[in-house]
Amino acid sequence: MRNLLNFLARYNNLIIFLFLEGIAFYLLSTRNNYHNSRLVNGVRGMTSGIEKRINNTKSYLSLHEINEKLAAENIALKNSIAKLVRRESSLFFSVDDSVHRQQYLHSSAEVIENSINRQKNFFTINKGESQDIKVGMAVISANCVAGVIVGCSKNYSVAMSLLNLDFKLSARIKSNGYFGSLNWDGRDYRYAILSEIPQHVLVNVGDTIETTGYSAIFPEGELVGTVSDYEKFGGDFYKITILLSTDFKKLHFVDVIGNMKKTEQQQLEKLFQ
Amino acid sequence: MINSILRFGLIFILLLLLQVLLFNNIQFSGYVNPYVYIMFILLLPIEIPSWLLLLLSFATGLIVDFFSGSPGMHTSATVLAGFVRPYVLRIVSPRDGYESGSDPSMMIYGFRWFLTYSLLIVLFHHTTLFYLEVFRLADFFRTMLRVLLSTLFSMTFILLIEFYRRGK
Repeated sequence: MRNLLNFLARYNNLIIFLFLEGIAFYLLSTRNNYHNSRLVNGVRGMTSGIEKRINNTKSYLSLHEINEKLAAENIALKNSIAKLVRRESSLFFSVDDSVHRQQYLHSSAEVIENSINRQKNFFTINKGESQDIKVGMAVISANCVAGVIVGCSKNYSVAMSLLNLDFKLSARIKSNGYFGSLNWDGRDYRYAILSEIPQHVLVNVGDTIETTGYSAIFPEGELVGTVSDYEKFGGDFYKITILLSTDFKKLHFVDVIGNMKKTEQQQLEKLFQ
Repeated sequence: MINSILRFGLIFILLLLLQVLLFNNIQFSGYVNPYVYIMFILLLPIEIPSWLLLLLSFATGLIVDFFSGSPGMHTSATVLAGFVRPYVLRIVSPRDGYESGSDPSMMIYGFRWFLTYSLLIVLFHHTTLFYLEVFRLADFFRTMLRVLLSTLFSMTFILLIEFYRRGK
């Protein structure tokens, strides 16, 4: 017993140290499983009040720019309304299908917390379950890809930014339709890497890169960026550097897009896997 | 006693505010993220009991984590920094030992002493932090570059703050 007490007295620092590190690593490991981001949400709930205030100040300072952007977007929307003479692409649909015309549901939100300087960046938006935001929805900013929702609390959601080593996106070259996999390499917040494009494909600097609809998260044809550089990588594929169209440093107003037919598509695909 | 609790409480709050409101928002190329809050651990009295030091490190890290939405990362790095601090103090101890009841400040022990002391601890802290953040050994050297550059910047700010304190 005395030996034990002596031992404890001698190594008490080490024991406290290991204990506290244990807690820290526990927290760390829960976070890595980002689908189970309850902790992140709880924590964000506590600090989001302060972040909101910081953000209010920031948004006041950039009002002018935001106004310009909104105006531009308004014009674009008006244009598309004018063009919108409904073309029915399918002649047949079942009568009880109330949503056959609409696949994607848009809703706007504001980014209240954002980072670009980590390796795994997340941002928080000011809408959550109460506003019908769900895990797995796409986030775009002015028609350019920004991220995917990974956790929702009542009034806030956390989205995994494109600037996250774990983020993967199916993207294609607009001019010829070849698709590959896009992810961020953790270096510069303005660039991402598109891989798996075979070398026989013609790639030009300046080519537009857009999303494919394959993942059932992003709608087809959302802008990702433009080719800024490419090199041969290994024997078969290109490694293409993409200049992202989204300016993550200025991310402020975003659109959240939910795919109403996602479950349907995924269930069907599951049958054949 | 009460006086010094108040003083360190104030330093704590000021450093945290600086970190959360200012330094967390410096987003300079992804290679440079100064983490200045670690200075709180540097400034605590030399004779502080190590259990208290560890607990304070834990609390500091946890609060920074709350504000950067990264539970555990800053906590483990800061706790490690708190753990190595007594050893670092022993390594860099001046020839005639430390004055009793003194703070590890530049004013008392000089610029060179403070530089080595803080550089060692900041390096420990940043190394842990950045490698935990990436959590993989690919890009080992790039992460090291991030550690070194960020340490450089954190140290610059820490020394500036320390000079300012001395000036007062």
